[in-house]
Amino acid sequence: MSKDSRMRATINQKLTEMGERDRLKELLRAKLTECGWKDQMKAHCKEVIKEKGLEHVTVEDLVVEITPKGRALVPDSVKKELLHRIRAFLSQHAT
Amino acid sequence: MKMEEVSMSSLDNSKLEGLAQDILSDLVEDACLGLCFDVHRAVKQGYFFLDDTDQESMRDFEIVDQPGLDVFGQVYNQWKNKECVCPNCSRSIAASRFAPHLEKCLGMGRNSSRIANRRIVTGNNANNKSESDQEDNDDVNDNDWSYGAEKKGNALALHLLCVSGGVQNVEWNERIYFKIFGSTMNCLSLTAKKRKSDKVHYIFNIKILLLDDLTIIMFF
Repeated sequence: MSKDSRMRATINQKLTEMGERDRLKELLRAKLTECGWKDQMKAHCKEVIKEKGLEHVTVEDLVVEITPKGRALVPDSVKKELLHRIRAFLSQHAT
Repeated sequence: MKMEEVSMSSLDNSKLEGLAQDILSDLVEDACLGLCFDVHRAVKQGYFFLDDTDQESMRDFEIVDQPGLDVFGQVYNQWKNKECVCPNCSRSIAASRFAPHLEKCLGMGRNSSRIANRRIVTGNNANNKSESDQEDNDDVNDNDWSYGAEKKGNALALHLLCVSGGVQNVEWNERIYFKIFGSTMNCLSLTAKKRKSDKVHYIFNIKILLLDDLTIIMFF
């Protein structure tokens, strides 16, 4: 098991060091904006804020309300594309 | 042993797949958190609701999608056929030709000195009563060059007496107009073109060397 976690750690490190993680982040952000996910989530945020009150809303409130919905609403095509790139990276760099 | 290898690699594959999913999950979580932070900051800084407008003003600025109008609802080609009066030479010029005309008329454009030089040279060489309004014709901007009765200036007309090699798109005895696109003391470079509908046809490019008053050599 520790061999497993060592492999994971190595991969994650490589991902960060080679800049691939940042590129993937940017790619994801761009795709999510393109497909309207960001606008959807912003609209949901507005509701949460109206509910909790503009003055009193905290980061925690938003995180708790937004994150589960956000995860669920990511379109499959975006997921597929990201996974494709991740798998490509892994096949190149996982020994 | 082969079987073991196969099962080992499929195990690896499922591990890698699991890893890929975890990485994706991290990235998505990151994106969500990023959004939350952005929104929270916007709320606290007071600019979150800035782009909300009421329905009525939204309707005022809706995109217009009608023929003949641009997206703001303005008519966009109503000045096409208007005429402007040049403040320098007091002539009436079509709106679309106004800017280039001003360039030459005021002697300030990119090519105005070239044209002025050319005029001096051709004024010396030929006996033609060259009119002062030669500024309008310049080969740099060929799009508006049309041959018709209203064009004067430095267009030389020639009847083509014989058509042979090097000459295209023109009939024998057809009337064509030249433009002089360059000249030195004894050599004229000419381009002959004509416009049929919206196409400009090239007829020929020649250089004419003036050896003396009677002898010319034409190079195609």
